[in-house]
Amino acid sequence: MSTAILSLHNIGKIFETEELETHALKSINLIINKGDYVSISGPSGCGKSTLLSIMGLLDVSSSGEYFIEGVNVTDLSLDDAAEVRNAKIGFIFQSFNLIDELSVFDNVALPLRYHADKPNNATIKKRVTECLEKVALSHRISHKPNQLSGGQQQRVAIARALVANPAVLLVDEPTGNLDSKSGDQVMDVLDQLNKAGTTICMVTHDPRYADMARTKVQLLDGTILQSPAIKIAS
Amino acid sequence: MNLFIYQLKQAYLSLKQKPIFVLSVVSTMGITLGALLCVLTLAYVMLIKPLPYPDQERLYNVEHQLISNENAIDGRAFTYPNLMHLYNKQSLFEQSVLMYVDGDVITSLPSEPMVALSFVSPQWFSLFSAKMALGRGFEASEKVNSYNPVAVLSYETWQNKFDGTANVLEQNLTLGGNSYRIIGVLAASNIEAPLAGAGFKTELYLPWDYNSVSERERKRWGNDDGGLIFVGKLDKKYSGYSKQKIDQILTRLVSDNWQSEVAGHAFFKDWSIALQTKTLKSFIVSDGERSVYLLLIGALGLLLIACANIANLFVSRTVERQQQLAISAAVGASKTQIFHNILAETGLLMFVAIVLAQFIIFIGFSALQYYLGDFLPRIDELELNSFSFSISTLLLVLLTVVFSLLCRKMINYHALNTTLQSSGKGSGIQVSKRVRNILISSQIAIATTLVFINVVLYKDASELVNQPLGYQTENITSVVLALPSVEKGLQVQKINELKSELLAHPKVKNVSQAMRPTGFGTLALTASITEQRYTVLGKDVDEQYFNMLEQEIIAGENFSAADIKDDSSVMIVNDVFAKKLAPNGSAIGFKFKNGVEIIGVVNSINVPGRQRIESRFYYPASLARNMLLIEQHQGQVFSRDEMITALKKVDRKLSLFSFTSLNEYKNQRLFSSQTTAVTTLVLAILTLFLSGLGLYGILNYSSQMRRSEIGTRMAIGAKGKDIVGLVIKDNAGALVIGLAVSFVVLLVLYLSFSDSLSAYINLELLPLFMLTMGAIALLSSLACYIPLRQFIKKPVIHSLKGSE
Ligand SMILES: Nc1ncnc2c1ncn2[C@@H]1O[C@H](COP(=O)(O)OP(=O)(O)O)[C@@H](O)[C@H]1O
Ligand SMILES: [Mg+2]
Repeated sequence: MSTAILSLHNIGKIFETEELETHALKSINLIINKGDYVSISGPSGCGKSTLLSIMGLLDVSSSGEYFIEGVNVTDLSLDDAAEVRNAKIGFIFQSFNLIDELSVFDNVALPLRYHADKPNNATIKKRVTECLEKVALSHRISHKPNQLSGGQQQRVAIARALVANPAVLLVDEPTGNLDSKSGDQVMDVLDQLNKAGTTICMVTHDPRYADMARTKVQLLDGTILQSPAIKIAS
Repeated sequence: MNLFIYQLKQAYLSLKQKPIFVLSVVSTMGITLGALLCVLTLAYVMLIKPLPYPDQERLYNVEHQLISNENAIDGRAFTYPNLMHLYNKQSLFEQSVLMYVDGDVITSLPSEPMVALSFVSPQWFSLFSAKMALGRGFEASEKVNSYNPVAVLSYETWQNKFDGTANVLEQNLTLGGNSYRIIGVLAASNIEAPLAGAGFKTELYLPWDYNSVSERERKRWGNDDGGLIFVGKLDKKYSGYSKQKIDQILTRLVSDNWQSEVAGHAFFKDWSIALQTKTLKSFIVSDGERSVYLLLIGALGLLLIACANIANLFVSRTVERQQQLAISAAVGASKTQIFHNILAETGLLMFVAIVLAQFIIFIGFSALQYYLGDFLPRIDELELNSFSFSISTLLLVLLTVVFSLLCRKMINYHALNTTLQSSGKGSGIQVSKRVRNILISSQIAIATTLVFINVVLYKDASELVNQPLGYQTENITSVVLALPSVEKGLQVQKINELKSELLAHPKVKNVSQAMRPTGFGTLALTASITEQRYTVLGKDVDEQYFNMLEQEIIAGENFSAADIKDDSSVMIVNDVFAKKLAPNGSAIGFKFKNGVEIIGVVNSINVPGRQRIESRFYYPASLARNMLLIEQHQGQVFSRDEMITALKKVDRKLSLFSFTSLNEYKNQRLFSSQTTAVTTLVLAILTLFLSGLGLYGILNYSSQMRRSEIGTRMAIGAKGKDIVGLVIKDNAGALVIGLAVSFVVLLVLYLSFSDSLSAYINLELLPLFMLTMGAIALLSSLACYIPLRQFIKKPVIHSLKGSE
């Protein structure tokens, strides 16, 4: 129990539009422990992205409780949520979400600029260089994102996600916008990171990549399908 | 042609979907174009359009200048004998007109109405080609010194005072004790030349001989009178003469004669006369010119700021239309066709705006005529004409092309084609950072400049409105009596009876025999010992005057009742004149050559529009003076009818010439300042509002375009304030450039017009400029913040989702 990084208890999410209520998530219970490599898969529209948004404090749940490293983060204010995201969570998006005007270095450094500790420039430089080395992109440090291939851009995004030493990486369809070769490279990097101790939770609909995770969660219509491999929060 | 109609139809259908956009563009452009066209037409009528009189380019006004021994222009009005000399002896003008304006009461009509009079010599009618509704104008039978008692009515007088009856030509009318036979009525279409100021509309024309200048004054070579006007039509023979040559000939003619006539007067030693001709057109427009330029600057400024805003709306609209344009491109629309499409839509919008503008012009003309008719000449010639029509068409074409080109510049046709493939996250429509910054900077530069100019004008006008007058105006009415010409002793008796009658009235607190406090004449004084000569503003008052007006006597004493009764040789001067006469000591006891001695010093009064440092003096009024100030008890209103009743009780032959409260006079004097204050305040607020809207527009779509970036930053830990800070920082450069440009523009304006602006410019304005910049900076920050609320006040997922 003490190693639980994320724990979700009866999390539900309802989207309300004018005439329609969509129950995107229904009573999700899930625990992710330190060092885990969890994949979430399921058909399109089953609620994968919604679940990941709630785990990443990008969105709020409609019901249930959510803890990060034992702290209840269910009802945080927008600013407090931003601080937790910055300190504990690293995001990797399907469409990379790099900022076009900033160099690779500045993109990677961005989380540290918003960090509560206000690290100095030397520290920032050291961290950014380390992280770029991990994704084998040190030589592209002053390029702009549009001067890089899709796979390289996603690796920059991974470096950015790592730079503030987050407790967990949340990854949404990391290979969705990549050809299979680049996709394999990116998955390789994630695999190595996990082997080095990084906790990862990844959404993918590609069964091949889902299989690379150690824990597989199957989502259908907003509920987790029971499977022997899944650890259910008690 | 078919295709053109098809595209207009498409544009119409597409615009129908966007009522808010259409409404914003059409109303903003309609109103501003209306205002601009209105002012442009006004400028055309006043500055360019020929006067509606035959051979108008040969019509001249002649100004008469009295040049003092110190070579300063002492007066700009004719003396009566000089005017007559010019009229009788000159040979440069083939036709010439004498005119004198005044007002009097028609006593033969039961309502005893006050009418505006013009005494004119006969050629007035031919020179201005006056059209008659009935009868005839003045002819040789009314030539100068013929004393033929006839009258011509204006069309309005005929309609309003004589009920438009056809037999008016058989009637007589009585005025100032004389009877005149009506011989003609001017036509309704007649346009009177505003020779006596913009607001003056003659109601009754009488022959020159009967003008109100007294027999005594008609012979005085030294007293000028602002009511005397001379207009001439230059003989064709002399068309080649330069203005200098004409002025020289006329000056010689009048000055030589005058010098010999005043040779005996010590006061006029080394003085001279100069005559200056001005084309009649520029004479008529002279005072209005400045106002027209100010109005033009205002309207152009408004147009600039409106265009900047509309440009933003068009940019927003094009960003919105990305998908629609991409589909057109995908089904084969060429680059030119897409441009034609935009052209049709823009053209349609501008056309509707211009049509709306025509209505605004129509309303604007009426408003100008109603509010500024008394201030600006020729305003009644305003109408929708070929000038306003051509300018409208020109603006329509110009604005359509400019806005269409702006839209076209944003569209990257090749990128548009790939928009659909890249699931809408296209870059087919781009507003480059440079274009955005230029838009922001120009918006800020225009806004800062306009707001600052308006604030300065407002400050100046409101200071004028609020400055203390130095005398009180509450409960006091100024009355001018029309008296039959009788022997002086009898007149004194009648006025004394009237004063007793008034004082006995329960509403009346006090009566003073004097003209309204701002009315002064110009008089010449020579100091007794030094022989120093002064030309000073003077005014005759009685012993009640200073008490009633609460004008403080700061040294010496007031006139006594005996001073007034005996017409003693005493005077009271204002502090400015006292200081001039005795810079280090007291002016009390100072004597002038005519034996008059100063017995008191009063505080100066402020006359709006005149300098505070003017020397003024007060002397005992004659008991026969036909002007009264009537003070009422607190909260009582002594009416015009009650005044007439009192008059008729004393003598049926007395009539009322004018009856105006001091507050009315004050408001009249302050009218233009008050109008300026209100207009500039409204313009400043409107400018702030419009530019706020414009900035919001730019920053709104630029935030929209940065939505994904903002979402990403927030996902990795940026807080709301970080995002606001980022956007403000990103736009600070444009803000600073905008402010700097406005500073430079204002500086250039100042340096090029420093002469005429020096009254408005001083160091006090620096804080005001800072304040303006502060307000604009605050407005810009708000314009940054408000569009960001939609991102920073919601869970981050909303910003991230929108980018997919
Ligand atoms: N903002 C939203 N408003 C309404 N419905 C939504 C919204 N976001 C997601 N949904 C719905 O919730 C369900 C789950 O969506 P999502 O988590 O994106 O699925 P997945 O990522 O598994 O494809 C879908 O039915 C989707 O239509
Ligand atoms: Mg998804």
